[in-house]
Amino acid sequence: MFSYFKRYMKSIFWSALLLFLVWGGLIVCRVNTSNLLSNIPRGIKLLRYMLPPDWSALPSMVGPALETVQIAFVGTVIGAALAFALSLPAASNLTPYTALREFARGIMSAERALPDLLIILFFVAIVGLGPFPGVMAVAVSSVGMLGKLFADAIEEVDPRPLEAMETVGATWLQMVRYAVLPQIIPSVIASTLYRFDVNIRMSIFLGVVGAGGIGFNLINSMRLLRYQETMAAIMVVLVLVVACEKTSEFLRSRVLGQEVLK
Amino acid sequence: MKFKALLTGERKKEEERYRRYFEKYYGVGLVFAALFFWSWRSLKIYPELFLSGIPHFIKLVGEMIPPNWQVLTGGNVAMAVLETLSMAFVGTVFGAILSFFLGIFAAQNVTPAAPVRELCRYIMALERAVPTLIIILLLVVFIGLGPFAGMVAIAIGSVGMLGKLFAEAIEHVDPRPLESLEAAGATRLQLIRYAVLPQVIPSFIANSLYRFDINLRTALFLGIVGGGGIGLNLHVAMSLFRYADALAITVIVLLLIVTAEKFSDYLRKKIIGQEVLS
Repeated sequence: MFSYFKRYMKSIFWSALLLFLVWGGLIVCRVNTSNLLSNIPRGIKLLRYMLPPDWSALPSMVGPALETVQIAFVGTVIGAALAFALSLPAASNLTPYTALREFARGIMSAERALPDLLIILFFVAIVGLGPFPGVMAVAVSSVGMLGKLFADAIEEVDPRPLEAMETVGATWLQMVRYAVLPQIIPSVIASTLYRFDVNIRMSIFLGVVGAGGIGFNLINSMRLLRYQETMAAIMVVLVLVVACEKTSEFLRSRVLGQEVLK
Repeated sequence: MKFKALLTGERKKEEERYRRYFEKYYGVGLVFAALFFWSWRSLKIYPELFLSGIPHFIKLVGEMIPPNWQVLTGGNVAMAVLETLSMAFVGTVFGAILSFFLGIFAAQNVTPAAPVRELCRYIMALERAVPTLIIILLLVVFIGLGPFAGMVAIAIGSVGMLGKLFAEAIEHVDPRPLESLEAAGATRLQLIRYAVLPQVIPSFIANSLYRFDINLRTALFLGIVGGGGIGLNLHVAMSLFRYADALAITVIVLLLIVTAEKFSDYLRKKIIGQEVLS
């Protein structure tokens, strides 16, 4: 018996600590069983108000849904372009200057640490409401992840073409164009498509803070207690997300393993 | 191009290759460019907007500095930070517990029943497809406003990723202990406990810690949609144009995120490579 206790002592200690923290968290979030139980029937009743979805609101949602996709698309393209420009000085095989490399890497990791919410709220504060701050927020929030992926891809290219070109006296731009780009373009496109999937979700959220798109229909119909309309918007969002994901998956599978820009 | 042609000495062949390459990709490029400019136009983005943003930006910075630290000393902000943190933490723990079971029932080598496996995989894939925003909206209707809805949303939102990673980790365990225990006539529970868990628990904890980092950021968002917490404070300060307050809250948010990330990094490093439950 005691040997068992000894064996599991560490696990018991950590479990107890975890349990204690969870308990504290539940208190902070004001969760208690009595209001939980009384809320369930009310919740089911309210969820029933959402059905059936109000399909008559559908035509008015096509425009915002399109806008959501456009924000994600334009934002991703701009973000990828910025990230690419940053990834060249961040790759050790293309940049002999350590300071420049550290600077570029620093910008990217600082951006990754920044929560997307801060980026969105600041762009809305600077540029005002509408799709433009949304595009900017999507673009900036993509730079950290894409820049790092691009830079890592550049650092992993086959060094032989680079060395060969260097010996025959190619300029830096020629080296990038003929020794690096052909090797990284497929992975650059694939990473960008993946980021597009992430950004479409972010773009849906943008509407909530007033930066355009279907998110506004979602949150506004909810505020006005038009639950059936909310349900229709939810359906639109689901179709949108799944369609974009499938498209980008299809494109990704086409691009990877292909030779581009040889 | 000149350089390359000189290099190979076969200019003609080179040009032929470029022509073929052009023919292959220019259609794709054109469609892409057309889509981009159409989107750009219909979003009404004009270069002037960048320029007109600059004086606005300067004004904004002027109003933000110095940050109004007094806003932090009111009990409201401390409580909101605690709420966000609890939402993310408890949500991650519940999400991890849910994904623990889903992961076990979705792994081929410990769950022989194909329908159960498929069902679990389907649930997880469905969850990954649904944006967290929709989960929280439904929960706000179901539970009502407040951090509890945010907590449940985070728990549900973690299941897809954590469950999938856990199921994959289980499927990739060293099969030899499993086989020898099975040969010795161990029950399924014993099999899981002694042959599988010791191998997968460290990665499970590490993944959960990583998910906690993501969930803390999600918790900031959820505040706005009705979950409460520091995200809501920031949104309110911004929409009331109290920029000095907003900057003070931003500093706190950044501190929170960076500290939590460092802490979970540290724990992750300690756990990976360790033997847990062996």
